[in-house]
Amino acid sequence: MASGNMTLNLKIWRQKHGEAQGKLVDYKVNNVLPEMSFLEMIDVLNEQLVSKGEDAIAFDHDCREGICGMCSMMIDGKAHGGFKNTTTCQVHMRLYKDGDTIVVEPFRAQAFPVVKDLTVDRSALDGIMAAGGYTSANTGNAQDANSILIPKPIADEAMDAAACIGCGACVASCPNGSAMLFMGAKVSQLALLPQGKPEAPKRALNMVMTHDHLGFGNCTTHAECEATCPKGISIEHIARMNREYLKAAFTYFEKKRDE
Amino acid sequence: MMTNAVSHYCRSSIGRKHLMALTGLALCGFLVGHLAGNFLLMVGPDAFNLYGYKLFSLGSLLYVIEAGLGLVFLVHLGLAIKLTIENKKARGPQAYHMKVRTGRGTTFMSQTMPYTGLVLLVFIILHLMNLKFGAYYSTTVDGIEMRDLYRVTMEFFTSIGNVVWYSFAMICAALHTAHGFASAFQSLGLNHPRFYPAIKKISYLYAIVIGGGFAFISIWAHLKGV
Amino acid sequence: MGIKLDSKIPSGPLADKWDNYKFDAKLINPANKRKFTVIVVGTGLAGASASATLAELGYNVLSFCIQDSPRRAHSIAAQGGINAAKNYPNDGDSVRRLFYDTVKGGDYRAREANVYRLAQVSNNIIDQMVSQGVPFAREYGGLLDNRSFGGSQVSRTFYARGQTGQQLLLGAYSGMMKMINKGKIKQFNRREMMDLVLVNGQARGIIVRDLVTGKIERYAADAVLMCTGGYGNVFYLSTNAKVSNGSAAWRCYKKGAAFANPCFTQIHPTCIPVHGDFQSKLTLMSESLRNDGRVWVPKKPNDPRKPADIPDEDRDYYLERVYPSFGNLAPRDVSSRQAKYRCDEGLGVGPTGRAVYLDFRDAIKRDGKETIAAKYGNLFEMYERITADNPYETPMMIYPAVHYTMGGLWVDYNLQSTIPGLHVLGEANFSDHGANRLGASALMQGLADGYFVIPYTLGNYFGSTKLEKVTTDHQAFVDAEAAVKQQTEKLLSIKGTRTVDDFHKALGHIMWEKVGMGRTEAGLKEAISGIRKLREEYWQDVNVLGGEDNFNVELHKATRVADFLELGELMALDALERNESCGGHFREEFQTADGEALRNDETFAHAAVWEYTGANSSPIRHKEELVFENVKLATRSYK
Repeated sequence: MASGNMTLNLKIWRQKHGEAQGKLVDYKVNNVLPEMSFLEMIDVLNEQLVSKGEDAIAFDHDCREGICGMCSMMIDGKAHGGFKNTTTCQVHMRLYKDGDTIVVEPFRAQAFPVVKDLTVDRSALDGIMAAGGYTSANTGNAQDANSILIPKPIADEAMDAAACIGCGACVASCPNGSAMLFMGAKVSQLALLPQGKPEAPKRALNMVMTHDHLGFGNCTTHAECEATCPKGISIEHIARMNREYLKAAFTYFEKKRDE
Repeated sequence: MMTNAVSHYCRSSIGRKHLMALTGLALCGFLVGHLAGNFLLMVGPDAFNLYGYKLFSLGSLLYVIEAGLGLVFLVHLGLAIKLTIENKKARGPQAYHMKVRTGRGTTFMSQTMPYTGLVLLVFIILHLMNLKFGAYYSTTVDGIEMRDLYRVTMEFFTSIGNVVWYSFAMICAALHTAHGFASAFQSLGLNHPRFYPAIKKISYLYAIVIGGGFAFISIWAHLKGV
Repeated sequence: MGIKLDSKIPSGPLADKWDNYKFDAKLINPANKRKFTVIVVGTGLAGASASATLAELGYNVLSFCIQDSPRRAHSIAAQGGINAAKNYPNDGDSVRRLFYDTVKGGDYRAREANVYRLAQVSNNIIDQMVSQGVPFAREYGGLLDNRSFGGSQVSRTFYARGQTGQQLLLGAYSGMMKMINKGKIKQFNRREMMDLVLVNGQARGIIVRDLVTGKIERYAADAVLMCTGGYGNVFYLSTNAKVSNGSAAWRCYKKGAAFANPCFTQIHPTCIPVHGDFQSKLTLMSESLRNDGRVWVPKKPNDPRKPADIPDEDRDYYLERVYPSFGNLAPRDVSSRQAKYRCDEGLGVGPTGRAVYLDFRDAIKRDGKETIAAKYGNLFEMYERITADNPYETPMMIYPAVHYTMGGLWVDYNLQSTIPGLHVLGEANFSDHGANRLGASALMQGLADGYFVIPYTLGNYFGSTKLEKVTTDHQAFVDAEAAVKQQTEKLLSIKGTRTVDDFHKALGHIMWEKVGMGRTEAGLKEAISGIRKLREEYWQDVNVLGGEDNFNVELHKATRVADFLELGELMALDALERNESCGGHFREEFQTADGEALRNDETFAHAAVWEYTGANSSPIRHKEELVFENVKLATRSYK
């Protein structure tokens, strides 16, 4: 654990826009304090760059408290720096040593094209959600909340899955560029809860189809996603999705009817 | 409608993973039988040859079983190739500068699946050529004339090169199944916090028994000589 | 021009107003709804729930968000919970009590009718969210769990671990995703609203910047919904997300929408203290921690001992001492102020002396470490991750930070601003929280507005308004776009010496010191002149690099800070004019002998509603008198 001012050598991916050629650029940052977050360290670097008349490094970030899922960055080949249950915005510089060289790259995958520098387009994840990551409950016709009994262990397990912040670290780290953990978390959450059950088969079928079409890869159970997930979501949820999919593929049938 | 659903299933990422898992587990089952048979080598020539003879005497049923096994293998192989290509593409056009690894997820076994699989493919082709379609010797046990598979096998292992290659392939088989066996359960949706740790242990145990068992017999055969 | 404030409160007894309204409201038949297009700016709880619900009803929705996905809106960061008057625990709650608590908590500066409606629909929100699969905490019997929160004497707060805001937002977002899939919502990501477009005095469209390409785009509709959250980032350091800003609301203000009570800001008592100049953001620790944690400072200034080594007789548990009946659960404004007093007295702790302890020693002794870990484990982990201190062993250090803005665009009972067709929902409006918001009420208000209020009031607007056909070729769009481009060019042409953040920090410093927890007439006057000076410097010396036709983060920040530099002045002006202390607005001249807020109901029982009159003239302060027929104005006491 470091204390006092540090000097860090950064290698940061710079790419002007999606079609441009990018490369790693070396930067030296002085006066890094252990209390700084990783993003604050980049802020300091950006202030220096702007003062020198250079273009600031574009990176996604927003809430800076680990919940919005906006921050990304592969830090030394680890999504969010690879610290357990931690997003990049919650990584603090005390975890690094004076003189360290840190390589910072964007989250990469076929489905995550680079927008600029460390910023990537993760809207494919919304695409998966739009294919079925919901219950079709229109506003206004819900019954009393307590009329649906949900055993605590089931509610807790659904909550474990629902904790996903949609950051895409699972995709970025997966050797196959697969979004199975992201998708599995939602399919699993809604399959566990009674509210989600009526649409469970259709949801599994449609979300998986969309996932495949959007250019995400296939799961080969590396479990790198689970290891890298800042919310500690387990691949059990992928297994539950696999189960749901199996059931759905062979039993789900909608008869065409004239109405 | 049914064919539609099936073709849809077989084209989806999860459907194909199910098929990978099922074919993989079938092949795992085959290996258990194969290894049990191989241990008969240690019992003696007659026992081993009789076992072979019994199998051959299944006649056309054996061809059906072999065809089935071949089909399972080809499906496993074909899907593996397709998935590997797709997965490589899904990684995107620009590779990471740093090797992506937290140390808590991917393992050497999971990362080398395509390579160990490739070794096994080559091995199986050679294995069939050397042994199944290898030299034909005749022998008589209990008055019945049959193929002397014992001799074919033992002769094969007199070459140290063959033993090294065979053992190497079996290490690959162990690595492949150590990941594949547990992964198959996960793919089929059989991951439960209560059972999965056990499945993982069984997977490693299986890999050691299968890989070690085959390799052990090859070394034993080499030391024993014809 | 002159605005007319008509709150349009329906007639009848308080409890019947909303029912009367719904019966009298004009309806649009389903076949006609699809002829209307609605622009929704923002995808937080208010925006997402409104978009989803309006789309379900059949309207065409154009939804805009500033982040890369609607799921990232800052509602996601709310931790504690959401209130509802379900009375499941059978502990005396009711719609009327929730209404009363909210009006009282807001220090009697909110509009009764709006608050009552909020309390009425609160129960529907819980039902709706459960039906969408929000995994609220449950009891073993399968029923929903409740807890008490934020100075409330009943347990009416529903929660999903420490991530209630996230779960509710994802619920509302899933509703949006459903309607996107059905083609009824068109979603535009990474877009920032740059201006509001008026045609015949009605809100008919917006000008946005595509943040990726820098392109300025025009969108036309029949009504515009502003769901853009609060403006707490005027302080630079706040618990708001980095991209949260006041620009969209401010542009509406400058187009004629009145701005109400801008000085009402909430300072949250339990945040992780500031530790350096480089700091970009403050992190909130959930208020629920005060259910078990005890707040204290050492009795001696600069006590060199480790906090754990200081015995009880040398500790001042000041909240328990000053407010024996509420103790550590005193409301946010009160607790924040007390922390400030202690630090002003030199009793603050930590490297900067601007922090107090929040101690779990006694709770751990009483309930055991495991029980405490089950309740707050994730918060303790988060705290340790940020500070490297372990709250199981040493007390947390906390200090107040800007968290929420009760002020916002003025709206009537329909949630319509002074511009016809411009409706304002959630934190962006001013209506429900008065001068102070109670814990777990923001989520409730955002969702109430989006799910259950706007679907009725917008229909009423469409049903009772004549709208001519407007396309984006209309001159009003051309002019608005030109003005936006002109401002962009101006910012880029200054090429000064100071960075945008540098100015923002300077503004934040003025705001925090002079328009923060304790305000004085002299300080506010200094703030106004200081902000004016800073604004002049900004337009001469700011350095915005890069062009307008790419992903230029510095430019994005520059337009926001330009607006904050104007908004900050209005906040100070509003605070200066309000010669009383109430809720989050504490004027040091107006306090009781023991340092409590001293309201002046004779003169200030009104909402201050500001009208923009141009860049070079002072805004006009209007009043909406608040009529209290159902609650008796009393001094808020938590002793």
